[in-house]
Amino acid sequence: MNSLPRTQHIIASGLIAAVGVTVAYISFTQEPAAAYVFPRLISSVFAILAIWTFVKAVLGRTKVGKGLSGGAIKNMLPGLVILIAYAFWAAKALGFYTATTIAFFMVLTLYDPAPHNDPKTWVKRLLITAGFIAVMYGLFAMLLNVFTPREILFR
Amino acid sequence: MKKWIAGAALALTALAGTANAESHGSYPERPIMLMVSYGAGGATDFQARIVTMTAGNDDALGMPIAIINKSGAGGRVGWNWFATQAEADGYTMGAYNIPHFIAQSIEGGVSYSADSFEPIANWGADPAVFVVAADSEFNSMSDVVEFASANPGGLTFSGAGLFVGHHIAALQLEKAAGVKLAYIPNNAGGAGAMRAVISGEVMGGVNNLSDAFRAQEAGTVKILGVFDLERNEFLPDVPTMMEQGYDIDNSSVNFRGVMVPKGTPQPIIDHLAATVPGMFENARVQRRMTAGGSPMHIMTRDEVLEMWAARQVTLEELLAGL
Amino acid sequence: MQFLYYLDDVFTITNFALLLLGTVGGLILGATPGLSPTMAVALLIPFTFKLEPQQGLILLGAAYTSTVAGGAVSAILLKIPGAPANIATTLDGHTMAQKGEGARALQLSFLASAVGGIFGVFLLIFLTPVLAKWALAFGPSHLFWMAILGVTVIGTLDSSSVVKGLLAGCIGLWLSTIGFDDIMGAQRFIFHDAVAGGINVIPALIGLFAIPQVIMMLTKGRTDQSAEVITVKKHPIGQAFREIIAKRTAVIIGTITGSIIGLIPGVGGQIAGLVAYDQSKKFSKESEKFGTGHSEGVIAAESANNAMVGPSLVPLLTLSIPGSPTAAVLLGGLLIHGIFPGPDLFINYPAVAWTFIDSMLIGQILMCIFGLYIAGLAASVARVPHSVMAGLVLGLAVFGSYSVQNSMGDVYVMAALGIGMYFLERFGFSAAPLVLGLILGPIAEANFIQGSMIANATVGMGTYFFSGWLNWLLILIVLASVSYSIWMEIAQRRYTAKEDIV
Repeated sequence: MNSLPRTQHIIASGLIAAVGVTVAYISFTQEPAAAYVFPRLISSVFAILAIWTFVKAVLGRTKVGKGLSGGAIKNMLPGLVILIAYAFWAAKALGFYTATTIAFFMVLTLYDPAPHNDPKTWVKRLLITAGFIAVMYGLFAMLLNVFTPREILFR
Repeated sequence: MKKWIAGAALALTALAGTANAESHGSYPERPIMLMVSYGAGGATDFQARIVTMTAGNDDALGMPIAIINKSGAGGRVGWNWFATQAEADGYTMGAYNIPHFIAQSIEGGVSYSADSFEPIANWGADPAVFVVAADSEFNSMSDVVEFASANPGGLTFSGAGLFVGHHIAALQLEKAAGVKLAYIPNNAGGAGAMRAVISGEVMGGVNNLSDAFRAQEAGTVKILGVFDLERNEFLPDVPTMMEQGYDIDNSSVNFRGVMVPKGTPQPIIDHLAATVPGMFENARVQRRMTAGGSPMHIMTRDEVLEMWAARQVTLEELLAGL
Repeated sequence: MQFLYYLDDVFTITNFALLLLGTVGGLILGATPGLSPTMAVALLIPFTFKLEPQQGLILLGAAYTSTVAGGAVSAILLKIPGAPANIATTLDGHTMAQKGEGARALQLSFLASAVGGIFGVFLLIFLTPVLAKWALAFGPSHLFWMAILGVTVIGTLDSSSVVKGLLAGCIGLWLSTIGFDDIMGAQRFIFHDAVAGGINVIPALIGLFAIPQVIMMLTKGRTDQSAEVITVKKHPIGQAFREIIAKRTAVIIGTITGSIIGLIPGVGGQIAGLVAYDQSKKFSKESEKFGTGHSEGVIAAESANNAMVGPSLVPLLTLSIPGSPTAAVLLGGLLIHGIFPGPDLFINYPAVAWTFIDSMLIGQILMCIFGLYIAGLAASVARVPHSVMAGLVLGLAVFGSYSVQNSMGDVYVMAALGIGMYFLERFGFSAAPLVLGLILGPIAEANFIQGSMIANATVGMGTYFFSGWLNWLLILIVLASVSYSIWMEIAQRRYTAKEDIV
């Protein structure tokens, strides 16, 4: 095993162990105690297992999990930013259909291997986006009557 | 370029904002959402679906009402959401259950109280009843109390949760009969509590009259008493607790109705308060409710406000001893 | 044989049209992430207002049947289980799809669903009175042991490391305790408004499965994937029939496990597939192949989750107690028409009750036919470029998790869990044990607390949890399951150690 995944494993399992210990600490200190019987039980197991995994990672005995390669991070980063902006901000702020149109089109543009300088690919991308939004609108708004947050462009 | 887009977005938001603030003359102009803080299929959900089914008629609101379920922790999840996150624009209504939410707010740990909501109208009153399995040896409340006096804390009986109508009824029974009982709150609501009674996991239970009526029809339970001031039209043969010698009033009766969050514009509240009771009185609604075994009790906004205030006082008294 | 007498009613033009509508609609809704069978049935209730009771129930029965099976489509093709019932289907189904065997996996899943489903409905028809007693036999102590049995499955489920499997399960169990606790009403671990109402299983399920898939597609970047496009092998239906017959052990284990677990109120369909998958793996001669695209895994999981449909309605139809969330919604659908389920349902409303059951029977067959047709679409799904697929799944995930209870908080939970899960997966954790923990947590906790309350008021904890044949049977199964897992782990370690030397 080379050193990159090993460092990554140490960081990842360290974070999980930190969460486990925090959860256990909260479970054993919060009141009312009667409501925390079950959390105490599972958080103890959680913390022990997490520390065990952490120790194994430090010793370099982790057998499974490939870790992350630099190329993968570089490739996913723009998409991840869109995902986060879309789910945590745009969907509510701009309205579901507006935000979905923008997010879908951006993902399509950034990850479509077809060349950007050909007008035909742009038309194709727009058509796919329009078709997708039409299906979503038909399914969720018309068929299922799901109330989504108000759109900023239309109501 | 980016600044330009941000600016345009801002302008649009502002436009949309002003558009919303316009007069309420045409309210409602889109469908309304009704939040029910119990799961789909429960008594509150089922009744809410029936009483709102004519909302789209011209003599009612003229727009349909859609039910949204936000269940969990005896209703706390839904009401917390309704008090803190629901938009007070008249398009978000909620179903209330009295005494549940008032009792929970007195007990604490939630972000709502009677002051967080504005009632619109009441549609139903579902008293709590005491049920035992059909093959139980108990045949009246005095049998139950006798057993409980002989085995303090040993009579197990189920209910839908803590600080809901069933729990209030249980507390009243303990106080009035002077016995110690083992109340087992069920996490699966009234249906789960009823199952526990029928299967014999517990010796008895407090449950909704409407559900108990159905179970009695199915031959699985016996109903021993009603926690109300008068006998119920669905169960004319079942005596009230008062008749059986226990001083228990109607504090645990489960009143159901609709409300809006505090801060909803007064014209909208007035409009709703004027139309909603009429919507409940619709003959089709009445027929379906009777068919489903659900007692109706229509009250206007003023009557509900009075009832909420009265419950607040009695419940504070009852729960003070805990 | 009364059900035969009312079979005609299913085939009147209106009724059959509704049955078709319910089946096709159910398949589509079921395949949409976020629309669980419960949701789909609840959404259809308003449509039944305008129908006769009999017709309304035909629509609901058909929709219930086919949404459960429809969830397998997205589970196999996209690795996104349509509902908790389909989690086990992703384990081998999606691996099969990646190997180009999507069509085969879908055909097998629909055939297995139909076999399990029809068996389940026959149980409902012939054994209802007997089964009703059985459904009531499960009290808090038994449900607690059932949940523990589920927990023992966690460690060995789709995980190359038992410790990491258990750790993922613990994370899931902890997530399930966030929010108000169901009995005492105390607020626990609420660190953000979005989780104030607890973590809902459906948005969590979507996030944990769909978002890692999206990110995985994104890591491929702007590469032209025409070189690596999977050629989906055509798979004749006759061969699928023969395979189902050849793999009958998996079908039988799946069907029986599904029927029994479906009957237990409160546990129901959510874990039927997973337990059947695990049992089938333990009994199979090729257990090491499970998780690598082995068809037995798909067959066991799908026959189980459809077999549970019929029995899950037993407590509702005979005792008027809804045993599962979907049954609760169906109860509402019945009550709206003034029909009270109970022992005399079949005497007072035979035309409604029997037609409802018949519609589920015919629905299973129709579902299978349409499903086999859909299987042909596997090839087109595999051809969708990853840029389009990533956007599509992302959009569906956001809409699906929002529509569960119209809550933005659920969308945040979905996205946060999903992004976290992607990184966890890179370090050897998997989503299935985590979701199982999330599902089992409340069942274990609530039944433990209720059980101990009853026990303290009556016979005492020791007697309550450790007496009666049913408790002991469940405890024995738990012990057997644990020792089997330990034995497997030791055997496997020896095996891998040998490989290391080579």
